[in-house]
Amino acid sequence: MTARPASPWPWRAAASCVLATALHAAPVHAQADADTTATASISREEVHALLEGLTEQLLGLQAETDKLRKIKLSGYVQARFEVSEASSDSVRVSGSPAALTVANQSRFFIRRGRIKLTYDSSPRSQGVVYFDGGQDRTVRLLEAYVTLKDWWTPMQDHQLTIGQFNVPFGFEIERSSATRELPERSRAENVLFSGERDRGIKLEDQWTPKLRTVVALLNGGGVNDPDFANTDPTRGKDFVGRARWSEGWLDVAGSYAFGRDVVPLSGPDVWPTRERIGVDAQWFFTLPRLGGGSLSAEGYLGHDTNADSLRTLVQTVNVSATQQARLLRPGADASHLATDFQGGYVMWVQGVGEWAQAVVRHDRYDPNVDMDHDQYARWSLGLNLFYDGNTRLSVSYDDIRTEVAATAGRFADPHDNLWTFQVQHRF
Amino acid sequence: MRPSRHARAAVLFTLLAAVPSHAGRGITVKGSDTMVILGQRWAETYMNQNAGQVVMVTGGGSGTGIAALINGTTDVCQSSRAMKPDEKLKLRDRFQTTGIEIPVAKDGLAVYVHTSNPVRELSLEQLRGIYMGTITNWKQVGGSEATIILYSRENNSGTYVFFKDVVLGGRDFSPRAQTLPGTAAVVNAVSKDANGIGYGGGAYAKGVREVALKRTATAPAVLPDVKTVQDGSYPLSRPLYFYLRKKPEGDVRRFVDWVLSDAGQQLATQVGYFPLR
Repeated sequence: MTARPASPWPWRAAASCVLATALHAAPVHAQADADTTATASISREEVHALLEGLTEQLLGLQAETDKLRKIKLSGYVQARFEVSEASSDSVRVSGSPAALTVANQSRFFIRRGRIKLTYDSSPRSQGVVYFDGGQDRTVRLLEAYVTLKDWWTPMQDHQLTIGQFNVPFGFEIERSSATRELPERSRAENVLFSGERDRGIKLEDQWTPKLRTVVALLNGGGVNDPDFANTDPTRGKDFVGRARWSEGWLDVAGSYAFGRDVVPLSGPDVWPTRERIGVDAQWFFTLPRLGGGSLSAEGYLGHDTNADSLRTLVQTVNVSATQQARLLRPGADASHLATDFQGGYVMWVQGVGEWAQAVVRHDRYDPNVDMDHDQYARWSLGLNLFYDGNTRLSVSYDDIRTEVAATAGRFADPHDNLWTFQVQHRF
Repeated sequence: MRPSRHARAAVLFTLLAAVPSHAGRGITVKGSDTMVILGQRWAETYMNQNAGQVVMVTGGGSGTGIAALINGTTDVCQSSRAMKPDEKLKLRDRFQTTGIEIPVAKDGLAVYVHTSNPVRELSLEQLRGIYMGTITNWKQVGGSEATIILYSRENNSGTYVFFKDVVLGGRDFSPRAQTLPGTAAVVNAVSKDANGIGYGGGAYAKGVREVALKRTATAPAVLPDVKTVQDGSYPLSRPLYFYLRKKPEGDVRRFVDWVLSDAGQQLATQVGYFPLR
């Protein structure tokens, strides 16, 4: 018989005590037959008192465990071995002043080592702190926020969050790296939302079971901003909004972000406008014999500060023995610091039974639509094997197509394709 | 000639995709504590009638069962509430499907009081007042002068969620409510407490008395029985579900079909629940 009855532990403990007391009382019965009734009566009272005492203790213990239950600890580890075509046994010295450049890209490393602490202080509020200690072994704060939930809807459909959290833009960002089917997000998302998180306030509303909206006011630069990771130089805040319509088998969403960036210079700074528009859709289906699958697509376009333009148009010069200045190069046009961009991806994920999953994705990113030879394109293949409910083994191959200047005005695709072998454990 | 980098990638993926899937290990059923007795009786009878079939049933609460479905550690989740949208999204994130919902029986969520309690009926508004802490004395609802002692369930329980949604309209329970692990514990507590009140599956109502419920103060009071639960006139009638990741196949399909058959539904009635039809 394999069916097992539910047996809540306090009552199991109480039953054990009753049994132990009854066994203890048995010899007394045998030795004092004449006083059987009195002994039985006393034993029953004793058992009753014991049970009452136990119940009180258990209620006290339960109050304590109820408090502990409000704390939830979760996280995951992603350990990797990467093999790149760019691998080599050398360590090169280059640049002036000389700097060590690690050339070998075939290596073991920890991509993500994350731990998240959630405290559900009451049904109406929640606090979260989330850390990552992967990559360079520096522990950094990923997220820290307080969420206030409404008290007037049964499913708490309206929530206000304040702190540092994921920017509510696009489908890739809202999905955890622990559930995503390929090791890394698309190039466009990585460039436009480096770090994926920012500080601010957001309001989430589930208007109907199918319609969800999020609006947010954010500092704007994101947590990986090279100049202003912890501050916001602009008084105005970035606006980000997202609306999703979900049919279950087909989801469609649109995202919009608007704000201002700042390029700090010695002298008047340049304040490019930042505008991003995104649309995404996911179609879910089931293939006979294989299982669940999905076809996803996401596209971005807009106008934003361009890292290549910054490198090309801005220079740092020595103005004295101890001072440097950051200036526009002679003849550079400040309006060219920001450019029109576009990017996106198409991805097919197919379950192969319940314990394996195959993935194909093509993603592209063009940081400046008015310029040639700066496009990035990539084909990614992936296979995930689910070892158990917590552990996933993954292998993926990225065929990366970029162009670098070669001889005589020609361009070539560098050898930088990448194999990734990863084991992930989630808890 | 060395194979190209793309050919090598294709060979490796083909080899990995050929890794055999997990071997058969019987059917695992996990979830609702309300449904655990029912699930066990279904499993026992089904296994007796189908030699070689193994069905393992465990409780833990509807939330626990749904989490196991999402993690891939159970074939079937028993739930006394519908899956929440965020749970469906989590399931879809992992399996690219929002799952299959199969109503397998009906339940009348009973409200229990001690057998000596003179209160025979309550309106939903009175019940809400009692569990939100605005009504604290039995005298306020036609009983004797005594403080009402509230017994409730833990928040991973589907029964807790259903009661909170339907009776309290999503609002919070009174902090005076004592949470107990399982409907059996609630019934046990109420059976010993002359001033106690609790709620849970009708099948557990032994040694306590069920209270008739009224939708409004002037509506007729209704006790849970086959007719009132099936036609929905009992205010706290609810479907009980099986959740699966995909359309049932093979052994799982045979088990689900049997549960929905006349034999399976009859067993639900014997255990104290109500058949679908």
